[in-house]
Amino acid sequence: MNQVIAALRKELLLGWRGRAQAMAVIVFGSTLLLLLSFAVGPNATALRQLSGGFLWVSLLFASTLSLAESFRQEREQRALEGLLLLGAHPAALFYGKALANWLQLFVVGAALVPVMIVLYDPGLSGIGRLLGVLALGTAALSAPGTLHAGLAAQVRAQQVLLPLLLFPLMVPVLIASVRASSLLLLGDPMGQAASWALLLVACNGIFWPLCGLLFGYVIEE
Amino acid sequence: MDTHLPAYSPKAVKRAWLALAGALGLLAIGTTNGLFVAPPEHYMGDVYRILYIHVPTAWNAMLALTFAFFSALAFLWKNDWAWDARLEAFVETGVLLSLLLCVQGSIWAKPTWGVWWDWDPRLTTTAVMLVAFVGILALRHFVDDPRRRAVWSAVATIVAYASVPIVYFSVQWWNSLHQLQSSPKTVDAVMVTPLRINAFGMLLLLLAFSSLRSQLARRRLARELAPPPAAASLALGGEG
Amino acid sequence: MSGVISGGWEFVWAAYAISFTVLAAYGIRLAIAVRRAEKEGDER
Repeated sequence: MNQVIAALRKELLLGWRGRAQAMAVIVFGSTLLLLLSFAVGPNATALRQLSGGFLWVSLLFASTLSLAESFRQEREQRALEGLLLLGAHPAALFYGKALANWLQLFVVGAALVPVMIVLYDPGLSGIGRLLGVLALGTAALSAPGTLHAGLAAQVRAQQVLLPLLLFPLMVPVLIASVRASSLLLLGDPMGQAASWALLLVACNGIFWPLCGLLFGYVIEE
Repeated sequence: MDTHLPAYSPKAVKRAWLALAGALGLLAIGTTNGLFVAPPEHYMGDVYRILYIHVPTAWNAMLALTFAFFSALAFLWKNDWAWDARLEAFVETGVLLSLLLCVQGSIWAKPTWGVWWDWDPRLTTTAVMLVAFVGILALRHFVDDPRRRAVWSAVATIVAYASVPIVYFSVQWWNSLHQLQSSPKTVDAVMVTPLRINAFGMLLLLLAFSSLRSQLARRRLARELAPPPAAASLALGGEG
Repeated sequence: MSGVISGGWEFVWAAYAISFTVLAAYGIRLAIAVRRAEKEGDER
């Protein structure tokens, strides 16, 4: 447990030092939101309907940049091997990194929300609970994302491999996050958003333990 | 790490050829029966006959990916190269069958529902699994070191397979909210016999293909893991 | 669903033809690879 906290502190420190990179990810996500709006055209109704969906798709694409970057320094400095030699438990390293990635993804997502509101005009109701969905969704994204980013970082063609491996796993997370977000933004007469949020909790419940268990295999030797 | 180089087994190859012959026989019987002997279904007419190849493909695609999952677990647990070879074989066969499943499902959907794709939960989950396991094949392609390739594809397979239930559930729930018309997904009064014959035929096909593919994988592993001839006298025996 | 679907045999043929063609092609590819591997093994 101490190791997790120590690992987390290290990640947060590195993240803070590299905050320019986080800014770049936010800009990338915003650009995606803009481009997607062009795909729909100046159709205010359609844009409103799609606001939740496009937010999450943009966040998903932007996350690959963020996740890949989180392992860049380890890769370049062979830091992970050093930590393992010193007796660090791989699971602790995983949870430290995954938690830090979660925070960064949440920040990126939260930054994209105002961009989405301006471009897609879904209205301002339900923003608070939207942030809750954002927290759950980015958490479910971070765990398998960190696992596969750790894997892809050590391979050539990593830019292709990370999305290819991660996105199929993200289908339930995407569906649930988009549905919950759209309901919160556009109106939820039957109160279904909570059920979708529950599905997100279930995704998290599966991914966090499983990926923590398997991370040791990814960074061994 | 197991230092035995994975062995190639001519006996296994022979068994595979026999299984293949059996598979062809069963599929010939089942298909002929399903196409010409079975009566037309009262609701769907003759189009339902696609089911006699579609359902067996579905069962065996899922079976192949399940075998891949257990091979992944077995490899991580036992550290035996044979399981990595089997993993490679089952993933490839599973991808093949899943691809066929999506194509068949699409061909089935057009005359029955008027669209090439209707987000049916089973078919959509298959499509997602197809992409996931193609990704695992891509991973194997891009990693040269046999040990890492084996460990990482085992990890990716476990995570991908574990997500199947939740993918299926989420798509089903999402789809149920949008279904405008309820179309019968199951067909009444499907004759069971040709279905079972084809199912066993495809199972033998799956096992035969996987066995042959696994033997090829073993050979490649043996080549990759063998110490270079010049250093044979200095080799410490196996890798690692 | 409006009622009985008549015809549609071309879809049935298409499904079976594509399935068996793809499976046969894969099988042939495997057979060729296995034959080549066995020959190499004998030559060693």
